[in-house]
Amino acid sequence: MDILYLLVPLSVILVFFILGGLWWAIYRGQFEDVESEGERILKDS
Amino acid sequence: MFNDRSAVNVAAPHNRIDARYGGQVESPDAGVATEDLHFLDDPQEWSAFSRPDPRSTDCWESNVLIEGMHCAACALTIEDALLSVPGVLKAEVGAASHRARVVWSSDVVRPSDWMRAVQTAGYRAVPANDAFARERRKSEARKALWRMLVAGLCMMQVMMYAYPAYVAAPGDLTPEMEQLLRWASWVLTLPVILFSCGPFFGNALRDVLQRRVSMDLPVALGMLITFAVSTAGTFDPRGIFGREVYFDSLTMFVFFLLAGRWLELRLRDRTAGALEALMNRLPDSVARLCEDGTYERVPVRRLLPDDVIRILPGEMFPADGVVLQGDTMVDEALLTGESRPVARGVGGMVIAGSHNLSNVVQARVERVGDKTRFAQIVTLMESASTTKPPLARLADRIAKPFLIVVLLAAGLACAFWWGRDPEHALMVAVAVLVVTCPCALSLATPAAMLAAAGALARRGVLVRRLEAFEAMASIDTVMFDKTGTLTRDVMVLGSTQVREGVSVVQVLDMAAALAQYSLHPVSKALVAAASETAASPAWKANAVNEIAGGGVSGRVWSGDATQTATDLRLGSADFCGIKVSQSDSLQTCLSDERGWLATFELHEDVRSDALDTVAALHREGIAVHLLSGDSAQAAARVAAQVSITEFQGDCSPQHKLDFLRNAQQSGHKVAVVGDGLNDGPVLAAAHVSFAFGQAVPLTQAQADFVVLGDQLGAVVKTLLMARRTLRVVRQNLWWAAIYNAVCVPLAVVGLLPAWLAGLGMALSSLLVVLNALRLSYSAKRLG
Repeated sequence: MDILYLLVPLSVILVFFILGGLWWAIYRGQFEDVESEGERILKDS
Repeated sequence: MFNDRSAVNVAAPHNRIDARYGGQVESPDAGVATEDLHFLDDPQEWSAFSRPDPRSTDCWESNVLIEGMHCAACALTIEDALLSVPGVLKAEVGAASHRARVVWSSDVVRPSDWMRAVQTAGYRAVPANDAFARERRKSEARKALWRMLVAGLCMMQVMMYAYPAYVAAPGDLTPEMEQLLRWASWVLTLPVILFSCGPFFGNALRDVLQRRVSMDLPVALGMLITFAVSTAGTFDPRGIFGREVYFDSLTMFVFFLLAGRWLELRLRDRTAGALEALMNRLPDSVARLCEDGTYERVPVRRLLPDDVIRILPGEMFPADGVVLQGDTMVDEALLTGESRPVARGVGGMVIAGSHNLSNVVQARVERVGDKTRFAQIVTLMESASTTKPPLARLADRIAKPFLIVVLLAAGLACAFWWGRDPEHALMVAVAVLVVTCPCALSLATPAAMLAAAGALARRGVLVRRLEAFEAMASIDTVMFDKTGTLTRDVMVLGSTQVREGVSVVQVLDMAAALAQYSLHPVSKALVAAASETAASPAWKANAVNEIAGGGVSGRVWSGDATQTATDLRLGSADFCGIKVSQSDSLQTCLSDERGWLATFELHEDVRSDALDTVAALHREGIAVHLLSGDSAQAAARVAAQVSITEFQGDCSPQHKLDFLRNAQQSGHKVAVVGDGLNDGPVLAAAHVSFAFGQAVPLTQAQADFVVLGDQLGAVVKTLLMARRTLRVVRQNLWWAAIYNAVCVPLAVVGLLPAWLAGLGMALSSLLVVLNALRLSYSAKRLG
């Protein structure tokens, strides 16, 4: 079970990576206009 | 099939032709497409809705509102139209927000060029003067979401780390491993405390500075103490604070609270912005008479008293003034609540915000800007909303005694143990503080109200202020406005009297042949009634002439040539040249060469569920009043139809406000249901207010509940829901109180093991949330 001493700290770091991804998504406005991007496929050009 | 052309066609059918605007203003294909926009090419005008793009010198970024837009296909059409203009670098149209952001180069193109492109596509672009206020709100919403997600993600991971400590058999978990898990939990709790909890600490600090107590103070105190104790337990397990950690309960509690606040923010934002957008309802530009007799298009802001302006049919008056030339009908329903168009001839007063319905008029401007009646109503409304009767929130009322009792208990426990075991004393005091962490108390109200708001939203009622539930549950009086609330805006045909020898159907068809050329609500009612009977729709008319304030005349003949053509007049008795007996209802006459032919009686279309709603409110023990800006007879007639005994007509906004204040001063809790702009001040000052979805944006902005559908019964539904919500809130508060009453004494005598305290904390929060969720299920019974 010694591997846990590596995995637990790794999981903490992983959480910070995910948080970084969320930060990117929120401040790029990914959660603001959730409908119109999906409807863009209806566009011809 | 989704090429640009068909997208416009798809869009056209949704364009709601609002009866109030004479069917012209908001409908893109009705002839506003030629509006002169050159006044916008003056760089001085740009700064109101644009700002220079920081990245390049000659680029500007503009925000415009798009009118006439209803779906995503429209958004794409407009984007294409904008991008096809040379010099437009970027165009983004929000399908939900009805707003466009345009980046353009001032070397190549002027705002009027790309705005005209929008008009050619069939929509109307209006400079959005409130864009920068919206941007602030957006960044606020982003921050709230970010705080919540940080707390949520950290909570999940901290729970993972806490899990082994709960389930491991004694000896399974080595001390080193336990220590590692604690450190990991501590690292992940740090961002939650330092960042996510920011608003709670900020509010608590403000409370302390202002010497008052709200729920945020015990919450912040509880968080801080729990975190401090857990930190001590992690790094100094043999210290005076003991070796227990509560990271899992702490993060969960923070996440619950933040999730509640974020949902509340979204509710608020869904309808916010209406207030700022209101000024867009006045036109931006107007044709002003120059000295040489020509007209130039000038921005409304540049108008001065004594300027002479020209207003076309379908346009809105930009300022208060006096008519110099021309005869027309104006629609002042938004301001006065008067449902019938009013005639205005030479010398008549016209007011800003009303619509010109029938003819071109010239008017001399008398009052502009802040001095117009429109602006005065807006000001009245703003001041009314700041003097709204204060409703102390239930939870905030509890906060102070709660804080005192908890601190007292902790102090007593500490003093009790100090004599025998000083080291133990501090630990017990901390246990008391941790176990009373006011999770359940602070979640009790928002959880129940959010659940109720969600359930109501699925039934077509948007809740704008959560606190309104508390007020709604305790109201004892409902005041209805008439036009647009109890009645629909349109009129319907009642009884018809005809000359002997002619049939009702035939007369109606003849009248409808004339009426179809007019925009007057009476004409619309006649046309609608004729299309329902539809006997022989073959009557045709020509040489139709409409006289404002009088009626319509023209030559009518039957399509199958069985009857000779006759000259008909449709309108008031005077206009038809006949005498009729006085009646208190609205009548319209039809006459031919031989004189009187028929009399049509019209009345307002009372909503089908108005009677049931009033009856249901009476059953719930609530007094119902009717206040109307319309004439006293019209108010009396409608009141009789829906069996309201207390009514009042001829009310100005100030009258209504006085009436409401009187009722409030005599101790009544009043809800107001309205929709016109002149209801705005009353809505703002009422304990609770309802507006309908078709209402003026400003009215909606002031209302606590916005009813989306056409159902008056939503008021009753909301009332029942609010009462149920308050019941759940009370249950939640009782549960929190009982939990604390059991745990605090146990903690004081030192009998409560730390793990049980943590579990109790988490369970009490969960139970409160689950109890609140019952509201969304039980709401099904409301139908």
